[in-house]
Amino acid sequence: MSLRLLSVDPSDRGSQRCRLGPGLMSALGLSLGSPLLVSVPGGSCLCTAWPRPDLAEGFLLMDLKCSSPSLISHPPTHLNLDPGQLTPVPCPKLKAVKITVVVQSVDFKKHTPLRLVHELVKDMLKGVYVHEKNVINLEDFDTEIKYVVIESVNLDSASAGFITSKTGVEITGIQTVRHYMSQLQDQHTVPLGGLEEVSTSLREILQLPLLYPGTLSSLGVSCPRGVLLVGPPGVGKTLLVRRVVREVGASLVVVRGPEVVGSRPGESEEKLRAVFERARSAAEEGPCVLFLDELDSLCPKRTGSSAPENRLVAQLLTLMDGMNQSDRFLIVGATNRPDSLDPALRRPGRFDREVFIGAPTLQQRKAILSVLCARMPVCPSVDMAELAQRTTGYVGADLSALCREAAMQAIRENSKSLGEQALGMKHFQEALKAVRPSCLRSSLGRTELASMSWEQIGGLEEVKLKLRQSIEWPMLYPEAFVRLGLCRPRGVLLYGPPGCAKTTLVKAAASSSHCAFLSVGGADLYSPYVGDSEKAFAQLFRQARACAPCILFLDEIDSLIGSRSNSQTPNSVQTRLLSVLLNEMDGIGLKTLERRGTEKILQAEGVEENRKQETLDFQEVCNKDVMVVAATNRPDCLDNALLRPGRLDHIIYVPPPDQQARLCILKVCTESMPVGADVCLEELAAKTEFYSGADLENLCKEAALLALQEENMEASIIKHTYFLRALSKMSPSLTAQQIQTYQKPPR
Amino acid sequence: MSNPALISLHQALKKGFQSLENNQKVWTSVLADCSPLMVSLGNLAEQSRALSNVQISNTPLRDFPDLEERLRFKLLQATDTVLGKLNEKMSSLQSVRDSISNQVFAVFQHYEQNTDSLDLLTVTERSATAPSVSDMLEWLQDAERHYRQQFLRRKTLLQTLRADDFSLLELAPKRWKSWDSPSAEDHIKDTLCKVSFFIMSQ
Repeated sequence: MSLRLLSVDPSDRGSQRCRLGPGLMSALGLSLGSPLLVSVPGGSCLCTAWPRPDLAEGFLLMDLKCSSPSLISHPPTHLNLDPGQLTPVPCPKLKAVKITVVVQSVDFKKHTPLRLVHELVKDMLKGVYVHEKNVINLEDFDTEIKYVVIESVNLDSASAGFITSKTGVEITGIQTVRHYMSQLQDQHTVPLGGLEEVSTSLREILQLPLLYPGTLSSLGVSCPRGVLLVGPPGVGKTLLVRRVVREVGASLVVVRGPEVVGSRPGESEEKLRAVFERARSAAEEGPCVLFLDELDSLCPKRTGSSAPENRLVAQLLTLMDGMNQSDRFLIVGATNRPDSLDPALRRPGRFDREVFIGAPTLQQRKAILSVLCARMPVCPSVDMAELAQRTTGYVGADLSALCREAAMQAIRENSKSLGEQALGMKHFQEALKAVRPSCLRSSLGRTELASMSWEQIGGLEEVKLKLRQSIEWPMLYPEAFVRLGLCRPRGVLLYGPPGCAKTTLVKAAASSSHCAFLSVGGADLYSPYVGDSEKAFAQLFRQARACAPCILFLDEIDSLIGSRSNSQTPNSVQTRLLSVLLNEMDGIGLKTLERRGTEKILQAEGVEENRKQETLDFQEVCNKDVMVVAATNRPDCLDNALLRPGRLDHIIYVPPPDQQARLCILKVCTESMPVGADVCLEELAAKTEFYSGADLENLCKEAALLALQEENMEASIIKHTYFLRALSKMSPSLTAQQIQTYQKPPR
Repeated sequence: MSNPALISLHQALKKGFQSLENNQKVWTSVLADCSPLMVSLGNLAEQSRALSNVQISNTPLRDFPDLEERLRFKLLQATDTVLGKLNEKMSSLQSVRDSISNQVFAVFQHYEQNTDSLDLLTVTERSATAPSVSDMLEWLQDAERHYRQQFLRRKTLLQTLRADDFSLLELAPKRWKSWDSPSAEDHIKDTLCKVSFFIMSQ
C-alpha cells in the first residue's frame, strides 16, 4: 500500500499536522498528535499525526513546519510514499535549544533589540516539535521573522524534542532570508579543474581579512578590495568565482554588465548604486563578493565628452573609491578584453590585483578532463593524458563540450545496439572531430588538413628525417631533449626549387604530430589600412601561442615578408611584417596577458604516476612555443636577420629529386593508376632529369589523358608508349643553372 | 460511553470550549477598543510628518518661540499616551491568549495521559450530538493557534514601531486592520455552534 502525498489543507497551514488514515495511525502505534518523522527524497519532515476529517486511508497531507532545509525551496509534490518512510519518534520535552533566526529584512535585524526577538521567537516556538538541523517555518505568523534554524538541542540520545514554555531558547545568530537562501542554494558542488593556483590566491584575498582582521589593522594596511580576472572566453572565470565563493561560504552578488544599463539618463548609475548598496548590506552578515561579469561592457574606455557610458564608468570609479574600510566586501571583475577597459579602473585601490587565466596547459587540461569525466562512465582504457595531448588549444568550455559530445556519441551508438553505457576512446575521437578549440575560432590561418602520411611523399628521406627531428622528436622524446639540454627549434625554413614537395612535407609533418596547425598567406594578411596587416600578424601569433604547441606555416615567405637589405621601399608593408615576425619569434618575452599556467604546479603524490608525470612535465617544457615553418623557393630574397639561429634555426634544402627519388615519386603517383605491365618506371626515372615532383605527377596525368584520347574512353590500362609520348611533349621545369643557385647556402 | 477516561476527557473538553467562548467575547471587545486607538496613532504620525515637512520660520507662526520643539513634544507625548493605552489592551489580550493556551494545553495533556485507554476508534467516533474527540481537540488547537498568531502579529507591530520612522507609524493602523480576519473569527464561532449540543448535554 502506498500513500499519495497531497498538498496541505489551508486551514492546517502552520499547524505542523500530518493527516493520514486512522488505520495507518493505529498500525504505526500513533495516538492523536504523536510526533512522526516523514522521510521524503531530499530530506525529512517532523509532523504530528492526526486522522483525516473524512477518515480516508491512502493519503498523506503534511504541513512542512519543521523540515530539512532543502525542502523549503523545493517542497515535495506528487510523491507516492511507502508507509515505511513514516517513523514515530520519541520527543521528550527540551530544556534548552540553540537556534539561528532568519528574518526578512536587514532593517529589522538592525533595529530590533535581541531581547524582543528572543521573546517573540520563544512565543512562536511554543508547542512545536523540533528536530536538530531542521528549519522551522514561521511564515504563517506573518511577521518579519520567517524561519528558525534549530542548531542543536541539548539531548544526549534523541535529536528531536518538544518545546514548552519552560524551554530555554538561545539565539546564536540572526540572518536575513536572502543570505540564508543563497547559502542553501550553493550546497551543490561545481566541478573545477586545473585552476588550483588562481583559486588559492583568490581564496586568500577573501579569507585573509576575515581570519586575521586584527593583524591587518595593526599593520596599518588595507586589505585588497578588487580583483580583476582576465582570460580568454571559456577558461572558467565565472565558474572559478562561484566555486571560491562557495568554498569560503561568502554570499555572492552578481552584476552582469548589460543588466545595469537602463534607458533613461541616470538610470544606469542608480542601478549600479543599488547593487553596491545590496553588496554592502550582504557584507554585514558575512563575507561577500560583488561579481561584475563582462566588465568590458560595463566599463569601456571613456571616449568623447558626453557618451552615457562615461557617466557609468565615472560612477563605478567613485563607488569603488568610496568603499571604506568597514565595507568588507570584495569586488571581482571578469573580462576577456582587458585592453578595452578604462585604464583608471586598473590601478591599485580599485582593482588591486589582476589575475590572468590563460588557456589551459597540458597538465591543466588533464586535470580538467579528469574532473569532467569523474561523473561519467568512462572506460578505463581512456587515457586522460593522451586526450589532454590531443586537445591543444582547448579551453575548459571546449573540453566540457568535448565530453558532452563524446557522451552523445555513446548514446547514439547505444540506441542502435543495447550495450553497456561506457565512453570509450573512439567516442572521444569522434567528438574531437566535431568540437574544435574555440580560441582558434575566427582565427586567420585556421586550416582543415586532410591527414597525410610521410609515406605519401616519395623520396627525400634525408629531408623527412630533418623535419621529424625538428617537429616530431621534441614531442615524442622530450626526456631525451631535456637530458641533452636541447630545446625545440623555433623555426624551420624549407627552401628549394618549386614543385619539390615543400608544402606537402609540412602537411605531413602537421598531421603526424597532433598539434594545431595554422597556415597564412598574403591574402589573409594584407589590408588596405596602414598597420592592419601587422596587427593581424601579431594577433595570429598570439592565437598560436594560446594553443601551443602549434605549427605556424608561412608559405612563400619571400613574397609575404620582405628583406630590408635589397628592398627598394624601406618602409613597405613587407618590411613592417618582417619586423613583427622577428619580434614575435625572438622577442624580449611574452605579454603578461598571454601567461599560461604557473611556474610550479603542485603535483599529486604517487609512485606509479611519477614516471608518467615526469614525461608530462617534459612536454610542458618543450611544447610551450610556437614553431614557425616557412617555405620559399627564393631564399636569397630573405632578410639575413630571419635566417640566424634563434629564428629560423633549421634551414633545410629540399633538393630536386634524383633518379632514385624520381622512381619513388613515380611509384607513389601511379599507385592509383592501372599501369600496363610493360611500363618501366626505372626507365622513366632515368629519362626525367631536372623534372620536379610536380612535373612527374603531371607526366602521369598526361599519360593517362593520352590513353583516354587514343582509346575513346574505353581505356582500362595505361601503356608505356603513352608515358613516352607524354614525356616527349614535356620539358623539365628545372634547369641546371637554377639548381646551381640553390646549391650555395643562403646565409 | 462507559469508558471512564472518555467521560473525563469529555468533561475537560466541555470546560475548554466554555472558556474559549468566554474568552472569545473578551477578545472581540478588547480588539474593538483598540481600533480607535490605532486610528489616532496613525493621525499622530501624519501630524508629525507634516510638522517635519514644514519650515516654521517661513510661516507667520515664526514669532512663537520654540514652536517646533513644543509641538513635537506634544505630539510625542500624545503618541506615548496612545501607545501606553494600547499596551494595556495588549496585556489584556495576552491574558486572554494565555488563558486559552493553558486551557487547551491542559485538555491535550489530559488526553495524552489517557492514550492507553482511548484507542483511535474511540477518539474518531462521531455521533449526532457530539463530534469526535479528535475533531474537538483539533478545533481547540486551531483556535489556540489563531489567537496566538493574532496576538504575536499585533505585538510585533507595536514593539517594532519607532518614533522616528513616520511611514511605519502611518502604515500601522492599516496593517493592524488587515489582520482582522472575519473568516477566522467566524470559523471559531462555527466551531462553538458545532459543539453547542455537546456542551449542553450532561
